Amino acid sequence: MSVAVLAENLTKVYVKRRSLREMALRPFRRAERVTALQDISLETRAGEIYGLLGPNGAGKTTFLKILAGLVLPSAGRAVVGGVDVARDDRAVKRSIGFVTSDERSFYWRLTGRENLDFFARLYGLRSAEAHSTSAGLLKVMDMESIADRSFMSYSTGMKQRLAIARALLHDPPILCLDEPTRSLDPIAAKHLRRFVVDRLNRERGKTVLLATHNLQEAEEMCGRIVVLDRGRVLRQGSVTGITTGLPGRDHYILTVRGLDAPPSDPRWRCALERHEDGILRLSAEVDRDGRAFSDLLRALLETRAVILSCARREPSLQEIFDLMDQDAERSPG
Amino acid sequence: MRTLRTLLAFIRRDFLIEVSYRTSFIMQAFGIFFSVLIWYYVSRVVAAPSTTPGLEGVDYFAYVLLGLALLHYLSSALMSFGGKVRGEQMTGTLEAMLLTPTSIGTIVLGSSLWDFLLTSIKVVTYLVIGRLFFGVVIHLGNLLPALLIIALTVLAFSGLGILSAAFVLYLKRGDPITYLVASGSALVGGVFYPPEDMPRWLGGWSHLLPITYALRALRRALLRGSRFSELWPDIQALLLFVAVLLPFGILAFRFAVRKARQEGSLVQY
Repeated sequence: MSVAVLAENLTKVYVKRRSLREMALRPFRRAERVTALQDISLETRAGEIYGLLGPNGAGKTTFLKILAGLVLPSAGRAVVGGVDVARDDRAVKRSIGFVTSDERSFYWRLTGRENLDFFARLYGLRSAEAHSTSAGLLKVMDMESIADRSFMSYSTGMKQRLAIARALLHDPPILCLDEPTRSLDPIAAKHLRRFVVDRLNRERGKTVLLATHNLQEAEEMCGRIVVLDRGRVLRQGSVTGITTGLPGRDHYILTVRGLDAPPSDPRWRCALERHEDGILRLSAEVDRDGRAFSDLLRALLETRAVILSCARREPSLQEIFDLMDQDAERSPG
Repeated sequence: MRTLRTLLAFIRRDFLIEVSYRTSFIMQAFGIFFSVLIWYYVSRVVAAPSTTPGLEGVDYFAYVLLGLALLHYLSSALMSFGGKVRGEQMTGTLEAMLLTPTSIGTIVLGSSLWDFLLTSIKVVTYLVIGRLFFGVVIHLGNLLPALLIIALTVLAFSGLGILSAAFVLYLKRGDPITYLVASGSALVGGVFYPPEDMPRWLGGWSHLLPITYALRALRRALLRGSRFSELWPDIQALLLFVAVLLPFGILAFRFAVRKARQEGSLVQY
C-alpha cells in the first residue's frame, strides 16, 4: 500500500516574540523557545484513517498545519502525496483537504452555496464546474434544502458539514480533520464520525488524518493512531494494542448478588457497595497481566456469587498519558 | 487567465457581501453628496483667489474636489491591503483561503479589488456631482492622460498598501506606514491646500509623497486641460515611485509571509 503522508524527524520550535520592554531591559537575553513538535516520525498509508491523539497543546494542530503548508518546520521533513511540503506547498494543497473546528472560517453574510462557490474558485475550478461541484457536495452532505440560507443562520452541525464539503471541493485524496466533532452534540458527532468512516473513507477511499483528544472517537474511527504529548510521540500503533500494552491496572465495575466479602488477592483491589434488593456493586482494579481478571471472576464464582453484569471502565486520556509517561520513563533509551 | 478568474471571484464575493447590507450603497452616495456640499460652502468662505501659489489658476472648490477624490484612492490602498488581511485573520477566513493553492499575493490583491472598484465609482461620482451641481469645468479631452495618472497613482499607493499589509502580517498591529503616509499626505500632499503656500520646512516634505505629483498632474489634466508635455514631469515622478514602492512592497510582503509561516503566526492577529 502506498504512503500518503510521511513525517521524518519533524520538529517545530516556536521562538516567542519579546516585548519592547523586555528587549530594552534585557537586550542580550535569548528569546524563549517552545518546542511544539520534537522528532516526529510517522507514516500514513493511502486509504487508512490515522489518528493523532493527544491533549490540548500536544502538537496535533501544528503537525496538521505543517502538512497543509501553513507552518514551516524547524527541522525534519514532511511529505504529502509524494511532495515535500517545504518545497512545493501549492502542489501539496491540491492533494489535501483541511477541516478545522473553527466555525468562523466562512463568510457569514453569504449563503452556504455562495461560500462553496467562492472557495471552489480558489481551488482553480471554473465557474460552471464550481457551481456543479458545490451543488453535488451540498447534496452529498444533505444540505440542499438549506444551501441558499445565509451561513450565519446555520447550526454548529451544519457549519461543520459545510466545512467538510469545502475540504472536498477539489476532491483531494487526503483529508486532515482537526477535532471535527469538538463543538458538536453527541448525536451530530456520531453522524459525522459515521459519515467520515463510511462515505469518505470506505466509499471514496480517502486517507484521513484525524486529530482528536477523544480516545473513544479514535478507537471507533482509526485503524492506527499516534499518541502525542507535549510534542513528543508517546506511542504508535492500533488503539487496542496501545492501551493493552500499558502497565498498571484495568478498572471493572461488576454488579453481583450473594457475595459476603470480595475475594482477596494482591493482583486486585476491590471495593464493595451495597444497594437495595441485595444487589452489590463491586469496583475492581485488576493487574493488566492477562490472567488476573479471569482469576478474579473464577474466585467470585467459587463464592457462589451471581454475576449480573460486568463492564470495563475505559481509562481517561489523562490516565493513559500518565501511564505512558511512567512506561516511557521506565523503558531504557 | 486563471489568476484573472480568481480575482473576479473575489469581486463577486465582495459584491454579494456589500449588497447584503441593503442601505450601504445609498448611504455612501449620500455621504459623497454631503461631503461635496460641505466643501462647496467651505470654499465659498475661504474664497481663495485663483492666483494663490499652487492653485495654478484653478478655482479652490475644484482644487479641493480633486484632492478629496484622490485621497479616497490613497485611503483605499493604505487601508485595504492591510485592513483586509487583518479582517480576514480575525474572521478566520484567511486560514481557509491559505489552505487553497491560490497564492497569498492573489488573495491579498483579490481581497482589495472591490475597494478599489468602489473607490473608482466614488471618484467618478465626486466629479459628476461637481460638474452637474456645482459647475466645475472638467476637460474630458484629457481623459486618457488622466486615466494613466490614476493608474500610476493606484500602483504607487498599492506599493505602500502592500508594505502596510506586510507590517500587519508580521507585527499584527502598529503598522507605521498607514499613519505616516495617510496623515503626511493629508497635511502636506496638496489635498486641501497647496504645499507651495506652506513654509518651506513643512511644505518641502510634499516632494517625498506620491500624492503630491498625482494631484498636480491630475488637476492640470482635468481642470486646466494642460498638454501631455506639461504633465510628463509629474508622470515621470509617479513612474519612479511605482518602480521603487511596488517591488519593495512585494519583497517586504514575501518576507513577512515567510517569517509568519516560520513563527506559525500567519493567521494570528
